[in-house]
Amino acid sequence: MSASAGVFAVSCIREPSTRACTLQRESQLNQFLAGVERRALRIAEIAVRDRDEALDLVQDAMIKLVKNYAGRPDDEWTPLFYRILQNGIRDWHRRQKVRNRVMVWFGRGGSGDDEYDLVAHAPDPAGRTPDEELQTGEAMQRLETAIQALPARQREAFMLRTFEGLDVAGTAVAMGCSDGSVKTHYSRAIHTLRDKLGEHWL
Amino acid sequence: MNEPRENKAKELFDDSVDRLDAATLSRLNQARHAALEAAQGPRSMGVWGRWVPATGVAAAALVTVIVMRGPDAVEIPSASVTDFEILLEGESLEMLEDLEFYSWLEASDLETNGNVG
Repeated sequence: MSASAGVFAVSCIREPSTRACTLQRESQLNQFLAGVERRALRIAEIAVRDRDEALDLVQDAMIKLVKNYAGRPDDEWTPLFYRILQNGIRDWHRRQKVRNRVMVWFGRGGSGDDEYDLVAHAPDPAGRTPDEELQTGEAMQRLETAIQALPARQREAFMLRTFEGLDVAGTAVAMGCSDGSVKTHYSRAIHTLRDKLGEHWL
Repeated sequence: MNEPRENKAKELFDDSVDRLDAATLSRLNQARHAALEAAQGPRSMGVWGRWVPATGVAAAALVTVIVMRGPDAVEIPSASVTDFEILLEGESLEMLEDLEFYSWLEASDLETNGNVG
């Protein structure tokens, strides 16, 4: 940030309601979201195994961040954004569970053809053509499948720490838990992945 | 987090991010702009938006005074009071945009009633 921009940013903190400051904030938010959106989409996609659903979740998280936290210091945006996204993903899984229960209640669950089959949705999470899918590499597919099999909290900790690169404190904010819990979930995730993937995880 | 395996996992993930297709990137771009626009919605009214109801009520009251204490000091038919009650209701504030027309209509009614009577 240049010296003049820095002075401007300070004046915006003092008088945040001016039009110029609003535009500057929107520009910063746009820049932040543009920088985080693709990784967020992939993280959401691995969690829910559906690109369209993941896109909706990411857009909802964007809207909530802009509406509720635009005024917060921009170094807080990343953990806040991921906290909103993770909450959205958890809600999504809850809705899926309810939906599956309802389907079973109405006799469409069990071995029925209409059951929502997570495995059936898994093979092409990136939505690519078969040729592109081949190029993607088996390693990521194996890793993705193993991550999807992790318990939800371990999956969150692993993806936020490893894929997004959040530190323990940022991951704790994003997950809404203590630093100690993050370390536990992350450690368990790593051990499970090592056991599951073995020598393939290279 | 510096374990080679974790680093490899990060590489694989970054590679999958880089491979996102153009259609998906376009949808992300649209989603981002939609989010920024959605947040702008309530703010677009700005400070003036908060004064719209008060301005409407004040304008309606002003019209009432003008009509009741107008130059001819005409007697207001009872129906006109009902009209102003309607005007003063919150849902009818949009009618105030056409105040000039309603003033003219009111004057025409009075003139017509006066001619008939």
